[in-house]
Amino acid sequence: MLGRFLALRSFYALSLLLGVTLLTFALMVWFGPDQTYELIGRNSTPEQIDELRAELGYDQPFWNRYGHWLVELASGDLGLSNRSGESVSTLLRRALPVTAALVLPGFLLGNLLGLAAGLWAAWRRGSLWDRLILGASVTGLSLSFLVIIIALQLLLCTPYGLNWFPARGWRMDSLGAYLLHVTVPTLALLLVTLGYNTRFYRAVAAEELQRDHVRTALAYGATPLSLLSGPVLRNCLVPVITRVLYSIPLVLVSGSLLLETYFGIPGIGRVTFDAISSGDQPVLLAVVTLTAALFVVVQLLAEFACRLADPRGRLP
Amino acid sequence: MSPEWLRILWRSPGGRTGCLLIFLLGLLASFTSMGWLGQGWSAGSDISWGEVSASHWFGTNRLGQDIFDRALVATATAFRVGLLVTLGAIAIGACLGGLAGWRHDRWPDHCVMWLAGVLDSVPVFLLAAALAFAFGGGEAAMYLAMILSFWTTTARLVRAEVMRLRGQDFVLAARAIGLPGQQILRRHLLPNTMHLLLVQASLTFVAAIKTEVILSFLGIGLDDGVSLGLMLAEATQDILAGHLGNFLAASGCLFLLLLGLNLAADALQDGVDMKQAPS
Repeated sequence: MLGRFLALRSFYALSLLLGVTLLTFALMVWFGPDQTYELIGRNSTPEQIDELRAELGYDQPFWNRYGHWLVELASGDLGLSNRSGESVSTLLRRALPVTAALVLPGFLLGNLLGLAAGLWAAWRRGSLWDRLILGASVTGLSLSFLVIIIALQLLLCTPYGLNWFPARGWRMDSLGAYLLHVTVPTLALLLVTLGYNTRFYRAVAAEELQRDHVRTALAYGATPLSLLSGPVLRNCLVPVITRVLYSIPLVLVSGSLLLETYFGIPGIGRVTFDAISSGDQPVLLAVVTLTAALFVVVQLLAEFACRLADPRGRLP
Repeated sequence: MSPEWLRILWRSPGGRTGCLLIFLLGLLASFTSMGWLGQGWSAGSDISWGEVSASHWFGTNRLGQDIFDRALVATATAFRVGLLVTLGAIAIGACLGGLAGWRHDRWPDHCVMWLAGVLDSVPVFLLAAALAFAFGGGEAAMYLAMILSFWTTTARLVRAEVMRLRGQDFVLAARAIGLPGQQILRRHLLPNTMHLLLVQASLTFVAAIKTEVILSFLGIGLDDGVSLGLMLAEATQDILAGHLGNFLAASGCLFLLLLGLNLAADALQDGVDMKQAPS
């Protein structure tokens, strides 16, 4: 039964991967602007132009080019950046640890605090605390990420505010330098995700707390903490896992895009922004395709994880 | 019928606040679009970063343009972007979701769900970047990216709702008297998903405005004119010089608009939950 489930889901994930690569390839390579004059030097002969066009595959039919690109992609060859001439995979491999170090604290804290606040609000449903937490999260939902970043930078990194942290840049050579540079981005990420996370976890927990087993456990004298951190959390595990896993690609790319552009941090987001603004096709193509592929893989992992966390799924 | 959703909105304090905020900002935006307000938004003057005064409520920007007028036009732009994206995304989501739910587990369903799965895998900013690259930039890429990304949630919800309704007696009766499937879907099933579409519409509106801000900041949003995102992008330069006019005006309008929409979405959602609770 499990084998059949695994096979079916993997097959579906494979079809999604095919769709995603088809979409990005069609958009950025097939319909995208002609790269010949982007790459060729001045005063080139018609023969040189023809040679480059043949190398880029412009004389081939769609499916040949798509297949060729898929084979390259699968072997990890992402081409060379138009801008710097550097290998795209080296570029991304250098940027990824920076982004991971940048978003990890905010991501973890955002989920943990969101979970705690959500559980607390659901437990005290209808109380003043619940209404305060809900009000705060609606306010959080109504703030744009950009506004939060600008406001935090103004308050914490400029002489008009406290001026405690550097406004731009990134250093990871010592813990102190890392903390100095990661604090403001972490706060920004926290503020923008906390509202969504709290509401989500509150809704999940509120449904669970209405169930009879909770009432029974309370009647037998279970303390709120043991109840919330034990059976209630365990029964909420499936939506929690799904949410945490699903938000990984979003935070890695969409979250870092704005943070890194704004704070001048050399991670994936900055690489993507540079590729967008300079029209660097190989880099942008690699980022879009790899992010989408990561999302498909994460979706698959989430389904397996939920299957493990929820025994009911194992019944025929 | 006096629209039921309006009564649901008006019942809770949050819903009332949301309604009022949207109504007021919408009024300002429509006056601006009709040319009664905010007409000085592009006229420059020699006073760079002018002080707050009776004629310039939020001062002027680097080019000496009146920030208050620009904020009005930007709010009107936000409404235009929000309405366009919401209409597109909700219409596509309702149609494809309805089709997938009605033909559940047959090829139309598989196709629609596969397409939604593919589009959901590409984050909206990256889809916008890819489209902007393919088209050579432009607003069309931004609108298309948002519509392509946002219809999927609506489609999934409508699909689930249509699947739930499909087995109910009134649908069986409609089938028994020989109504064609298309007509049942259009006349009996989709109108019953209206509450869902309204909640989704307000959430899509929020997402569209927020996305526009970030895309415009990244340089792949609006080309010309003025929007909240472009004003905030301008503000990032001003702030380092200590001029807060642009930032305060743009973020204030943005916050009030998003707050209104979020409050309305919450009130509608609560109303829907209450209606569905007894069954």
